[in-house]
Amino acid sequence: MSENGLDPIIHAPARLRIVVTLAALHDGDTLSFTRLQDLIGLTPGNLITHLRTLQDAGYVTTEKTGNGATARTSVALTHSGRAALERYTTVLRELLDSATPKISG
Amino acid sequence: MSNVNDMDDGTTMDLHSAATIANETRERAKRELTISGPVLFASGGLVLLLGYGAIWLSVRDQRPYHGPTGAAIAVLIVLVMAAVIITASVVDRAASGVAGQSVLRRRIGFSAIGIGYVGVLVLEAALAHAGASHAVAYGVFAAAAPILVTGAIYIANSATSLDWPLFGLGTCLIAIAAAGAFAGPRTVWLVGALAGGLAFWIKAAVELWLGRT
Repeated sequence: MSENGLDPIIHAPARLRIVVTLAALHDGDTLSFTRLQDLIGLTPGNLITHLRTLQDAGYVTTEKTGNGATARTSVALTHSGRAALERYTTVLRELLDSATPKISG
Repeated sequence: MSNVNDMDDGTTMDLHSAATIANETRERAKRELTISGPVLFASGGLVLLLGYGAIWLSVRDQRPYHGPTGAAIAVLIVLVMAAVIITASVVDRAASGVAGQSVLRRRIGFSAIGIGYVGVLVLEAALAHAGASHAVAYGVFAAAAPILVTGAIYIANSATSLDWPLFGLGTCLIAIAAAGAFAGPRTVWLVGALAGGLAFWIKAAVELWLGRT
């Protein structure tokens, strides 16, 4: 955890986009690598790097099915990843609230 | 303001940037991955209004009642096919690349509607075969049964998604079908067109209001 309490795994623009996009799926759903890439706008190499970081943290799972022309990699947010995003969002909101100047009466 | 350096992609993201990225990404994902309810329900309303309306125009002066004309049935079929194409394209756009339980649930839901309509057609033929009058088989039953089946399936689907507006639409459709049947073989088509169409459009408006674009 970083010094301000934000999860450093999620607190990176590309990974934040990945996690938030995957969180829009229903529980139990997966998203294809190509559609995720299309939504996030990353190169395949960059996306693979960030997915690996998220996978090592247990926040996403990837599964490859088929081979050759029919190969398909699907990505899903784990329960732990969803919980981490919720914590991240809560901490971020608290930090933003505390950073906002209070108007005293 | 706190800055955290992202060692992986070398960019720095402050708190406001993080909030902006999260909000914009959430909105985009919702827009791209969610099936557009307003479009689907508005097209359903149009099928009822124009399709049932065309049939009502073809039967309103029939004494005795003998059933919709071929031209009116053709209008309804074309509208239903157009709605199916719109639905398929909207679903395909949102569901592209998505796999899992929600896809399976949606397929079961659409299959239920298709199976329900086939059941209605077979039952209609059975009624006619058993000697039911044209007014009953091709009037009251033909108009009310598809709306009733649609309503029942919407109520069932609302249970899995806890979608209360869908539950409301299902209840309205069942009420419209059941109460409309008392209007007789001619007017039941008009009731279905106006009240059914309106119910679908209200649901489309509620979807818009809830931000389910």
